[in-house]
Amino acid sequence: MLLQQILNGIIVGATYSLIALGLNLIWSITDIADFSQGGTYVFAAYAAYFVVTLVKLPFIVALLLAMVLGAVLSYLFERVLYRRWTGLSRIQLLCAIALFFLMANLAILFWTAKAKIFPAYLKGSVKFAGVTLSYQRIVVLAVAAILFVVVYFFIQNTKMGKAIRAASQDREAAAVVGINIHTVNSVVFMIGGILSATAAVLISPLYSVFPNMGDLPLLKSLVVVILGGFGSVAGVLVGGMGLGLVESLGGVYISSAYQHGFAFIVLILVLLFFPKGLFGKV
Amino acid sequence: MSAILEVKKLRKAFGGVVAVDDNTFAVERGTRLGIIGPNGAGKTTTFNMIAGFYKPTSGTIEFEGRRISGLKPHRISQLGIGRTFQNVRAFRELTVYDHVMAGALAHELHYRPTAKQVEEVEHILQWSRLAEHRDTTVKNLTLAAQRQIELATALATRPKVLLLDELMAGLTFVEIDQMLDLLRLINQEMGITLIVVEHVMKAIMALCQRIIVLSYGKIIAEGSPQEISTNQTVIEAYLGKETAYA
Amino acid sequence: MRNTKRSPLVTIIILIVVLVVLAVLPQLTSEYITYVAVLAMLYAVLTGSYDILTGYTGPLTFCHGAFYGIGAYTSALLTLKAGLPFWAAFPLSGVMVFVFAVIIGYPGLRLKGHYFAVTSFFFAHFMYLVILNSIGLTNGPMGLGGIKPPEGFLGINFAGLKASYYLIFIYGIIVITGLWLFIRSGIGKLLVTIRENEELSEAIGVNTAFYKVLAFSVGAGVAGLTGSLFAHFFRLLHPTTFAWMTSEMVVIMSLVGGLGTLIGPIIGAGIVTLILELMRFAPELRLITWSVALIAVLLIEPKGLMGLIRRLQPGGRK
Repeated sequence: MLLQQILNGIIVGATYSLIALGLNLIWSITDIADFSQGGTYVFAAYAAYFVVTLVKLPFIVALLLAMVLGAVLSYLFERVLYRRWTGLSRIQLLCAIALFFLMANLAILFWTAKAKIFPAYLKGSVKFAGVTLSYQRIVVLAVAAILFVVVYFFIQNTKMGKAIRAASQDREAAAVVGINIHTVNSVVFMIGGILSATAAVLISPLYSVFPNMGDLPLLKSLVVVILGGFGSVAGVLVGGMGLGLVESLGGVYISSAYQHGFAFIVLILVLLFFPKGLFGKV
Repeated sequence: MSAILEVKKLRKAFGGVVAVDDNTFAVERGTRLGIIGPNGAGKTTTFNMIAGFYKPTSGTIEFEGRRISGLKPHRISQLGIGRTFQNVRAFRELTVYDHVMAGALAHELHYRPTAKQVEEVEHILQWSRLAEHRDTTVKNLTLAAQRQIELATALATRPKVLLLDELMAGLTFVEIDQMLDLLRLINQEMGITLIVVEHVMKAIMALCQRIIVLSYGKIIAEGSPQEISTNQTVIEAYLGKETAYA
Repeated sequence: MRNTKRSPLVTIIILIVVLVVLAVLPQLTSEYITYVAVLAMLYAVLTGSYDILTGYTGPLTFCHGAFYGIGAYTSALLTLKAGLPFWAAFPLSGVMVFVFAVIIGYPGLRLKGHYFAVTSFFFAHFMYLVILNSIGLTNGPMGLGGIKPPEGFLGINFAGLKASYYLIFIYGIIVITGLWLFIRSGIGKLLVTIRENEELSEAIGVNTAFYKVLAFSVGAGVAGLTGSLFAHFFRLLHPTTFAWMTSEMVVIMSLVGGLGTLIGPIIGAGIVTLILELMRFAPELRLITWSVALIAVLLIEPKGLMGLIRRLQPGGRK
């Protein structure tokens, strides 16, 4: 039973890590806590849902299309909105939050608040040591792992990746050496959109699709970013899964009602004792 | 011994980089001290430590015999040390009058400024040639004027010591002369000790009684303007060894 | 050289119009409109108190709705379960929320950048969870009802609509005047320096950490008091009333009116409440409208209505 909870927690946590990775990149380059990723999350899930149920295409296609949607939406938000207010981070933050609410409520308007069941794309599960792990859950871990490796590789070894790292350390210096900040911003936002979309589509078959599904994952991913993400891909990975774990175990052994409050409690406790964040970058 | 400010073995390291390397110096009350040195020598870092914006890695700073190193900036301001910043800072949306009055209110808080405070602020505005702009919003004024305002606001805090960081940067010759007159007035009539970081040599030489030269975080020379301008080590530090002919 | 201060004449005209309209409203209109006006007045005070920190001192927060809710539930519980009279519960709620805000604000406001803003978002959601799940105390999702109106005096009976209306009207006038006096005071002037340039503010001797917490807590305390009035006027509380949306609405109202002007947020509250009620028939549309409106305000004039007025004045420019 304990092992089951641990594994479930880690798997949910992996989705937090995905979203947090995107948020982390965006925040470190632009100082924006991009709440709109919570909205992109929702739209990606619905898009995948309709692709699978209406257009009747396979899950993998739906996933890829959702990723594209995520990239497009985030790119547009940056290009059309955030970019207007370069340097005015308050306005950008307010805009991000507005987009977040807007998208969740548009989802209610378009598709009603009733949850939709995302059809399973892979049936069956593996059993061991008293634990049942559906193949779909394993896919979540696998895809998350792949994406993390891809993004890490991208950042460490490509030209754009180096530009991103430079910009995250010192925006002005990066511009001075000829890095096109606009391009970097666009790329980073698109990555964020892809990651949020992926997290959404991976989790949908496990927990259903509904307009407010982005609310809690977004908040928790923000916690992961604040606590340990900055400048560290590994930190985000570990932090996300760690939080998922804490929630899962806490939900069972401490209180199920406050399961979604643990993220907050962890945040407060850490900030109280480490006012500069776990990695001293706050 | 009337040293108003004493810096003892002051050191600041950022990671592996030592910005200020075990410096010791004292400033006499009522004098005008200049700190010069090539870029990156540690001048602003020293100021930041005296004013409380950085914590020293080691060493102490004493003001009027009492230890101030490690205190928060507002405490140090309350004790009597004022400063200006290298990149001009300003309360952009305030009027000039409110800007300077803020300095006064920060040190003596009242519901409404007292008659005495109003008088003080008026005087400061006169000396700083800002009186005609008193109702103008600060963001609408030139950079030079904003620097004046920063100085005026610091004066309103009734400082005993003023740390001035590159006040003359970008000023015309006429403006520099006006600023020097103002600084002499502040020092001689108001008795405020001045510690000035500058790159404009003419200004430092004309104003300061004593000069400290920093290079790579260490004090390499100390003395009167006359002594400093003919000091071999100083010339080398600025121009490099190959060109250091007498 | 230009002086870009807003003409006080505009403010005074707006104020007089608003006061007169509010004073005669219950006599001339239906009960329904009176209820809406009460809501508008409560929001006006709430938004005004929010402006003290976010508009005048600087830090952005998203938990003002939570303070409102905590004040409401605290006051309700003090009267229902602890048997206190309203007139004791009312100030106590304000004090308790004030203290609460000091506890959160002291570590929170030290955080740099937008960390506190984001943290306040969580805090608001967390408080919602607490209220939702403390069923023994708050009845959770079933709502807390049976709250009594304030005890009457001098023959006034606050169970009646008009009497409660005027109570809240007078509360509004007193509190907003108090906030205005606070902003105009020496402390208010120092708060603004923190918003304008926190480092310079420290350098001239302002204890920025202290003043930020002070502004945050005063605003929160007023929100708590206002929540108490809400509880004893509407006499039924539900956790969702104080969820994210309330904090978000406070932010929107402030922005629409113009942060940092006190009168702006108050006007914003009035306008937004009015339109919200007009859109009663389409709840999903309401929220969408407000998100769009927020973005529109940011695009057109981030300084809100008051900023727009200043721009349009003769000689005024952005």
